[in-house]
Order: sequence, then C-alpha cells, then structure tokens
Amino acid sequence: MAQDAHPSPAAKDAPHAGGHGIGRYIAVWAILLVLTITTVATGRQDLGWVNLPLALTIACIKATLVVLFFMHMSESAGANRLVFVVSLVFVLVMIFGVFGDLWTRAPMTLPSGSPSTLGPEL
Amino acid sequence: MSSSDAHALSPAHEADRQRHLAHHFDTMDTQEYAVRLAMWLFLGTEVLLFAGLFLGYTVYRHFYHETFHEASRTLSIVLGTTNTIVLITSSLTVALAYWAVKTGKNGLGAFLLVVTILCACGFLVIKGFEYHHKFEEGMLPGQFYHYAEITGPGANLYFTIYFLTTGLHAFHVIVGMSVLIWVLARLLKGHFSPGYYYPVELGALYWHLVDLVWIFLFPLLYLI
Amino acid sequence: MSQSSDAEAAPVYPAVNYLNADRGVWSWLSTLDHKRIALMYLVSVLFFFLIGGIFAMAIRLELLTPGPTIMSANTYNRMFTLHGVVMIFMFMIPAIPGVFGNFCLPLMLGAKDVAFPRLNLLSLYLYWTGSLLAVTAMAMGGLDTGWTFYAPYSTTTPTTVFPALLGVFILGFSSILTGLNFIVTIHTMRAPGLGWMRLQLFVWGIYATSIIQVLATPVIGLTVMLVGIERIGGFGLFDPTKGGDPVLFQHMFWFYSHPAVYIMVLPSMAVVSDAIAAFSRKNIFGYKMIAYSSLGIAFVGFFAWGHHMFVSGQSPFDNGAFAAISMLVGVFTAIKVFNWVGTLYRGAIAVTAPFVYICGFLFFIVFGGMTGIAVATVSLDVHWHDTYFVVAHFHFIMVGAVIMGFLIALHYWFPKMFGKKYNEGWGMVAASFIVLGFIATFIPQFLAGNAGMPRRYYMYPERFEALNVASTAGASLLAIGFVIVLIYLIYALVRGPIAGDNPWDSGGIEWMTTSPPPKENFHETPIIDRDPHSYQKRGEEVEHVVI
Repeated sequence: MAQDAHPSPAAKDAPHAGGHGIGRYIAVWAILLVLTITTVATGRQDLGWVNLPLALTIACIKATLVVLFFMHMSESAGANRLVFVVSLVFVLVMIFGVFGDLWTRAPMTLPSGSPSTLGPEL
Repeated sequence: MSSSDAHALSPAHEADRQRHLAHHFDTMDTQEYAVRLAMWLFLGTEVLLFAGLFLGYTVYRHFYHETFHEASRTLSIVLGTTNTIVLITSSLTVALAYWAVKTGKNGLGAFLLVVTILCACGFLVIKGFEYHHKFEEGMLPGQFYHYAEITGPGANLYFTIYFLTTGLHAFHVIVGMSVLIWVLARLLKGHFSPGYYYPVELGALYWHLVDLVWIFLFPLLYLI
Repeated sequence: MSQSSDAEAAPVYPAVNYLNADRGVWSWLSTLDHKRIALMYLVSVLFFFLIGGIFAMAIRLELLTPGPTIMSANTYNRMFTLHGVVMIFMFMIPAIPGVFGNFCLPLMLGAKDVAFPRLNLLSLYLYWTGSLLAVTAMAMGGLDTGWTFYAPYSTTTPTTVFPALLGVFILGFSSILTGLNFIVTIHTMRAPGLGWMRLQLFVWGIYATSIIQVLATPVIGLTVMLVGIERIGGFGLFDPTKGGDPVLFQHMFWFYSHPAVYIMVLPSMAVVSDAIAAFSRKNIFGYKMIAYSSLGIAFVGFFAWGHHMFVSGQSPFDNGAFAAISMLVGVFTAIKVFNWVGTLYRGAIAVTAPFVYICGFLFFIVFGGMTGIAVATVSLDVHWHDTYFVVAHFHFIMVGAVIMGFLIALHYWFPKMFGKKYNEGWGMVAASFIVLGFIATFIPQFLAGNAGMPRRYYMYPERFEALNVASTAGASLLAIGFVIVLIYLIYALVRGPIAGDNPWDSGGIEWMTTSPPPKENFHETPIIDRDPHSYQKRGEEVEHVVI
C-alpha cells in the first residue's frame, strides 16, 4: 500500500495513553460539584435579572469543563473541535434569530396573555 | 504504524490494534481518526436535536415569564440536584473507565462501567418518582393539565416543555445506558486492550453528551 | 492501466467489474460496495421521481380549467401535498448525493470505499423505510397539509399525517448518516498527494452539502416529531388555544428547510462544475472561488430561513434582517456562474446532450436565482407570497437547476457506471424537449403569480386560464422529454456501444479506472500529482497518467 504522502491528522488525534493520571478527572469532578452547589444556591434566590445569565454562565463553565477534559477535546483533532463549535454556533443562530422576532413583534401578534414586547412599539 | 503518543504500545498490543484494521482504511491511525470524527459529527447532530426544544423553552419562557417561574418552583430541587450530582459522577466514572481500559486495567474499567450504568439507573428511578408525582398532581402537558394551584396563561406549556425535554433526555439516557452495557459486555469478553479501545471511548463520549444536556436542562427547568 | 481513448485502440469492457463481481439478489441487498448502493439509490429515486411526476401531472390536469376538472378539492389538496413530499424528501434531497455522491466520491478520492460502508447500507435501508412509510400514508388516503406541515392545521387535520411525519423523520436519519459518511470519507480517505486544493469540485460541493445535511436535518426531525406528538397527545406546543405559537413551528421548520434547498442545489452545482470543465476541455476558471463559495452557501444559508415567513407575523425587524442575509447568499451563486461562464469562454466545447443541459442549467439558475433575490425583497414578497410567482421561482431552481444537474450527472457518468454509451441524437432530442418544455411550463407561472393567482388553489379566476393551459402544455413536453431519456438510457444499457474507460476524455480521477470500475475501484491506489480538472490545450500531446 502506498505510504501517506501528507501528514496524517490522526497523529495528533490519539489521546496520550496514560499520559496523565486520574487526578485530572477527579479535580474536574470536584469543580463540577462545587459549581453545581453554587448554581443551586444562587438559582432559587431572587436576584432579579441576574438569575438567568448567572445560571447560564455557570452551566457553560460546567459544560466547557466536561467537553475539554472528560471528552478530551483539549487533546482532540482540529476537525472534531470545529464540528462541535460550529454546531453550537448554529444553535445560537437559531435561538437569536427567533428571539429577534419575539423581541420586536407588535404586541397584537403575541400569544394571548403574554406580556407586551420589550422592543419598540411597531 | 504505531500510535503517536509518548508511551509506545507493546508489540502484543500493537498487534491487537492492527487486527482491527478494516480493509478500506490504509492505517489504524486513519481509522481511529475517522471513527472519532464520525462520533463528534454525530454528537453535533444530537446538540442540534435538543436545540429545538431549548428554543421552545426559551420562547415560551419569554412569553409566559411569571407562570414559568411559578411552575419551576413546583419541581423538587432536592431530586433535581441529586440527579445532577448522579450524572456528573457517572461522567467521572465513565471517563475513568475509559482511562482504565486504555492503560490495561480491564477489571477496574469494567467495575467503573458498572457504576456508571447504576448511576444511569438511579437517574431514571429518580426521574420516575418525579414523573409519578406530576401525574398525581395533574401537572401534565397540554390538554391533560389540571393542576389547580397554577392557572396563569402558559402553565400547561411549561409542563409540555418539561415532559418533552426531560422525556427526550431520559430516552437518551436509556440509549446511552444500552450502549454502555454493550461496551461492558465486550470488555468482559476481552475484546479491548491498550491497543484497541475506541468503542469504549465512543460510548463514553455519548454518555458525556447526555450529561451535557442535563447540565443545561437542570438550571433552566429547576432553578430560575 | 487506463488511458484516454485514442483512435487506434477499441474501447474495452472489462469482463469482471462491480456489476457482476458477486451474483444474486442477496449480494446486492447486503452489499458494502458504494457503487452498488449508488445503483440501488438510482432505481429508487427514479421510481419516486415518477410518482412525484404523476402527482405533478394530476395537478396540472386539474388546473387546465378554472373550475373542477378531474378531481375534488380535497383530492387536489392531497395531490400538491404528496407532490411536494415525494419530490423533496424522496428525490431531491437524496438523489445526487445518494447516487452520484456514493458512486463517484470514493473514486474521486482514489479510495476503495466510503469511510463506513455498513453505515452507507444502513442509509439506504433507512431511505427505503422512510419512503415506505410515506407511501403508506398515501395508501391510507394521503395528507393535505402541504409539504410544509404548518401547524395548527397539521396538528388537527383528520387526514393521514402521522405515517408521513414518521417517514420524514426516518428519511432525515438516512440523510444525516450519508452526510456524516461523506464528511469523514473526504477528511480521511484521500489518496496520497490529493490535498484539499487538488480535489475535484464535485467533491467540494458534496462536502458542503454533507455539512448542511448533518447540522440542519436534526431540527426537522425534532419538528416533525413534535407535530406528531401534538397530534397524538394534544400537547399544544403550537396550538394557540393552549398558549402555543404557530409561528414557532414555522421558525423551526424553515430553520431546516431553507438549508435543505441548498442540500438540493449544491450537489447539482457540484456536478456542473465538473461537467463544465470536461465539456469545455479546459481548466476550471477560478477553482478556489468555486470551492469556497460552496462552503459560503452552506454557511450563510443557515442564517436566512425567515424569508419564508415575511407575512406570517414575524416582526419587521427580523424580516429586514433575513432579507438582507438572503441576498448575500445570492453573491456566492453569482460567483459560481461567473466562473462557470469563464470556464466555457474560449473552451473547446463538445456539444453533447449534457452540454445542452448545462446551457439550460446556467440560464435557469440565473433566472431562478434572480427571482429569488426578488422575492427576498420584503416589500415585493408581500405581493408575491403564496402566489405562483414563488412556485415558479423555486421550480426554476428545483427543476431548472437541480434536475438539470441530475440529468447532466446521469449522462456524464452513465458510461462510467455501465460501460456503455447512450445515443447522442436521442439525447439531444430529449434535452430539447426538457429545456423547452421547462420554459413553457414555468414562465407562464411567473406571469400568473405576478398577476395574482394564488398557489395551492383548486379553483382560480377565468382570466388565468390561458396561462394555466400553457403551463400544462409545457409540463406535457417535460414529461415526454423524461420518458425519452428513460427509453434511450435503458436501451443503451442493454444494446449500447461499449464506452471504454474515458469516452469524454475527461480529467477527473474517476475516469482513471475502467468503465465499469472493478469492485475495489482501482487496481492500485492512484498517486495524484496534478491539479484537478487539468486539460492540455489542443495540439499539445495529451498527458497520460499511468497508475
């Protein structure tokens, strides 16, 4: 069989066998538990508008830790990272595209019983 | 071609690795890369699948802010937090199981997989309690909603979203559990070694996705 | 081992090739050979094209007169729904990737197969399963929601919606797995020396298509699942009486269905890029621009879905944003057209049936694309929305671009797949019927739509009758053209002259093996050391690449 003439991306992709011990996993797990306690403690308090962004921020930090370390994305090939990041980008596109609609709709077009839009009266 | 990590495989493990080379791939490096890329692509599709439901949550939360806030208070924060801790721990155990198999500790790996699967069962049992409570109280989706305490607009929608998101998530827990059981069966039969372990890796990746979805579901449904 | 055919050597048909390497029905149904899977897709998509075409003819016959013609109003609703569902989900989306992507992609990469052959077979079986479910819905009386399944009608109509929803869901899985397979194949199975910038443009187009398939399809899967759950459980997610928002359904539906139209058109453009270089016997003009514009369309196409919802109650702010982004997508297509025409310029054009289709394609994609920009203008779309203007616009792309692309692929790669040549004379006759019939069918629809004729309407005011009759006449010409193609291709299969390895003298890598190829594609892995689509100028010695 012919040799690979171009450097195989696979070479960078294989996570190092035993390159690091279990300490890293345990540390991440501990941080995740701390973050969970934090979000539970702050979530049920009434902090006004801060609640939502705070909860989402903590969730994002937890998710990042899981993706980088439990799922080994920190050692993974570029293509894998690109795939995951792009799918997240499109999720945000979907949510913000729809939100652009909701925020700026005229009040008459909103479902009955819902508060009027935050955006300008159109 | 041996793998590129600093600790090269022993000849026996390298031979085991090469045994699994499919005829249409040139090298095991390429095959492993391909399989991992495929798994990440699949995880990408799962992210977009749940995205639609998160969109539904966001939209109706925006429309019915008060009612959603009220309704989320009816969820048990104890059970929800327990489930979160259970899933995060199961993520740890499955990651450790992968590490164990990769470093030749098959027995430890099997034990950790069993713990992971038990955690999954625990999650489902707790979920079952929560669902049961909701059926009793009448906190049901759509036309079945008859919980007298919350009657604001959008109340039934909250529980529609609740059951759809947690239901789809629970379905994925079951699928993930089945995958891990299959991986465990193969591990017990001696299929894996430091030379060949990527099915364990892929099963673990799927399980981590299940955990990831819950990391977002939990605060959005239970807390805020 | 393979050389471009010259005058002295007679074309050779290899005695053992992928078609006869293994025998028996089960060897086909359990095959892992991407070429056999491609052929099974071909038979299947052609069958569903026929079904979709029958529904189309039913529509056109009904619209011959302003009042009832051959069916009731309820039946008519089912006809246009099933025409849309069958054509889009069972032909347009799977056809070019499933047939020509499967057949040509590994060949163009110098690979033995796709990355995951068993997954490939699973894709085919999922396609059959999903399609069977849709056929079941038809057999049980059909549905009348339109292929767009808008809630709350789709959640409440008593017609047979659920099997169709399930069918679409499973077809979506088939699409996702195919896309996944192709992406991994392109990343990992290129032959030595085949860097990204040496890939044939067909590969780039399939790559961009696969990205959309993987990322967009899960959303439609979820959406149809939600409609199904609401039908069965009365959950009210899109039901206004329970506080739901029907426009949310539209957002979710079109988030997939707009990128879906790029799933349909990008492979067709990919075919044209390859074929235009071959038939002008010239290096492609602007290789990088065409390659990157495919990715551009795939990416920006995800941001434009709201242009289907200008009059749905979506806010004017979003309307404007989506309008602007939709026009941006047009830029990428314009880049491609410019480069294709630049390839033709001063080329040594071989006027063949595929070339006639290429000409049709260029005309139709410019016309269809420009009317797309027109309907993307909010103020104009308020007038045109849900009229025949929109119907004509998207048929210009779906039929004028995508089906032309399919026919180009079918004719261009027919010798490669079957080792036989079809009759060019009949090819030109059919191409003329199809191109002219197409114009006769859809230009009247632009005029009717602009004059105010609504779409999906069973009866219409008498002043539109002449245009409708003209459109139906054109549709008949189209149908005749397709039938002629079918006849001479089948004849060529059975009695056609032997084609030889490379009857078009094309520079593609897939032509560097025998026609039909052996089961393992190449007798030795080819080593690629030249740019894609490279053609020598006439008069110079043609370079033989020996493998």
